[in-house]
Amino acid sequence: MTERTSQRVFAGVFLAPAFFLFTGFVALPGARALLYSLQKWDGLGRAEWIGLENFARLFQQGDLFLKALGHNLFIMGAAGSSVIGLALLFAALLHRRIRGAQLFRVAFFFPNVIAAVAVALLWVLLYSTTHFGIVNAFLAQVQSGCHALGWTWPNWRLPVPFLDSRFLIYSVVPMIIWEVTGFYMVLFLAAMEGIPESYYEAAKLDGATGFQQFRHITLPLIREVLTVGLVFLMISTLKFFDAIWVMENQTPTRDSHVLATLLYQKVFTEYNVGYGSAVAVCLFVLVFLGTLVSLRLSRAERIEY
Amino acid sequence: MKQAAVWMSMNLALGALLCACDAIRPPADQSVGGALVEVAVFEGGYGIGWHQKIAQQFNDERRAQGVQVSLWGDPRVQDKIKPRLLRRDPPDLLLMHQLPFWLLVSAGKVLPLDEALNQPAYGAEKPWRECFLPGMLQSYTSGGKVYAVPSSLGAWACWYDARLFREHGWSVPSTWGEFESLCERIQEAGIAPLAFQGKYPRYAWFTLTALIQRCGGLAAINRDNRMDAGAFSHPDVVRAAGLLQSLAVRFFQPGAMAMTHTESQLQFVNNRAAMIFCGLWLVNEMKATIPAGFEMRCFNVPLVEEGKGNPNLFNGMGLEYVFVPTDARHPKEAADFARYLVSPRNAPDMGRSIGVISPLRGGTPRDTVGPPLQSALDMIERAQGFFNDRLSDLMLAWDNQVMQPNLAALLRGAMTPEAFGAALDAGIAAARRNPDLVIPEYLPFDPVAFGETP
Repeated sequence: MTERTSQRVFAGVFLAPAFFLFTGFVALPGARALLYSLQKWDGLGRAEWIGLENFARLFQQGDLFLKALGHNLFIMGAAGSSVIGLALLFAALLHRRIRGAQLFRVAFFFPNVIAAVAVALLWVLLYSTTHFGIVNAFLAQVQSGCHALGWTWPNWRLPVPFLDSRFLIYSVVPMIIWEVTGFYMVLFLAAMEGIPESYYEAAKLDGATGFQQFRHITLPLIREVLTVGLVFLMISTLKFFDAIWVMENQTPTRDSHVLATLLYQKVFTEYNVGYGSAVAVCLFVLVFLGTLVSLRLSRAERIEY
Repeated sequence: MKQAAVWMSMNLALGALLCACDAIRPPADQSVGGALVEVAVFEGGYGIGWHQKIAQQFNDERRAQGVQVSLWGDPRVQDKIKPRLLRRDPPDLLLMHQLPFWLLVSAGKVLPLDEALNQPAYGAEKPWRECFLPGMLQSYTSGGKVYAVPSSLGAWACWYDARLFREHGWSVPSTWGEFESLCERIQEAGIAPLAFQGKYPRYAWFTLTALIQRCGGLAAINRDNRMDAGAFSHPDVVRAAGLLQSLAVRFFQPGAMAMTHTESQLQFVNNRAAMIFCGLWLVNEMKATIPAGFEMRCFNVPLVEEGKGNPNLFNGMGLEYVFVPTDARHPKEAADFARYLVSPRNAPDMGRSIGVISPLRGGTPRDTVGPPLQSALDMIERAQGFFNDRLSDLMLAWDNQVMQPNLAALLRGAMTPEAFGAALDAGIAAARRNPDLVIPEYLPFDPVAFGETP
């Protein structure tokens, strides 16, 4: 056996487990899902080939799919922009070694280690319209305090039904921000810590303000990590499922569906495997395209130091 | 060459591993000279302790014949069963309610139980079929064959705390007008009149179905169940929807639309709300949280003034149905155990042990259940029969995407009753255009037999 062949075998042995696992548990089921999306199947009887009909139905059957997609995009925009903005802000502050930086780092990261379902259940209690609901109790205190001062505002109709299907998509935004900001903060902070201190010292000597340092030194130099963060966030908001499923008690409606809950409901409660698989294929294409675009953008103007 | 051999052997190993996973299944038990009947049970609020006790009793009696039952339960039993139904390796008998029953029947995956139904019932000298309350098997019948039998009786009622009512001098209403006046008096006393499980708008569907019967009689129920064109835009249904909407907007507890069933039911048992519409399962579901002195009782949905329906009828249904999959290994023995489990002999013990009302005629003697279910038995005994809707079980997508969201909008006051009826009709028309929709024949409720004028 030549050295080159033995190297190939050696590499093959190491790659084989990952290759087989990926093939068996990701690639083949993925291909099967693509096949299902071209079939009419209730998961119980015989499957029937119907071509692209399931994809056509996504846009024909009311606006359910588009509504769900719109909710995903709303979460991506509202929660995503807040998360990135706050994570950058907190990371920049911690990078400046403000007092209690270590404590803040742990405190902000803490929600990220809690299971997503537990986080959702926690926020169900916070938003509750019964006497357990801290958010409504707080709003009631604010309202009565203002009225005690003689103000006529606010006049909220309390308790606010945050968990009502109509408001759920808005109600999950603060929860997502609370849950994931810490993770992105740590990600950005790690990138910031890798920037040589001499750049900031030079900027200070040139009279740059804190914001100018952030704008012209920090941001360009963490650009790649920022892009990775954006890709993560985009994927996670497109795949968003747990909180809606828990907060809607497994019965989301068109007011609260996101793509993943729609997929699940179609396949597992309505037994429309073909339609559900078509949603899954669209979800995959969206994530794939979004990731490609983000990566392409990140490659432009690479800055090295 | 060697490299190719390594890759090929690894592929074969993976294939063998995957095949082995599929091969791990319980062996067909023919070797013991008898039959090991596997029974899978939904493990809900009632648990499976009683079912296991009956299985043990059955095993003791059948030991000589070599027939033994192995009964297991799980709260997510349906998720475990689906792949087994697909690979044609299901348990012999299933007791649950969360599988798409009519899809299974149309896919040929359920065996008719008629042979067992024609045999004598355990503990009675008549065929098993004749022991059920009238109409109880109707929901599981298609093409003259009965594919399942219910193991318990569900009924829709309005629950209240008799002690709270006594303290305030309130009495049980007999008409809808009295019911609304009662709600006003409760509100004046500073208590929310009605708790509601708003996260599940479906709960109001049962109340609406009862109101439809009260307003339009069984003819209206038949129109809806047959899916007649414009059935939900009929003035009787629109009137019923209007009554429900008025009740919700004026008397539901603030924030009710965001409450889960447990939250709202806790509000009720803690007297933060005076009444709640719910099924008979409420008693069991809340038994651990009912405070001392709370006297849970129920009454039927009151008569609607100038309505056409017999007010003694109740919205009822068979629950937790039992059926034998086509691919069962021991279908005869499984059907025999079903006949044993849901029998006049064991029904009183079911009431006594787990507080479940039997779907069998006289199956639950009054002294076997506590006062809350006794009040339900009073309601059931006064009725000539019961009625129910079948659409939400038949049209799963319509239920999720049309009925529930529109019902929620109606309850919030965001939609007129007329628009609600029109939306439901439009949804049904759209659903019926789907050629794959399985609609079993409908056996209508007979108004005359149920004390109504047609």
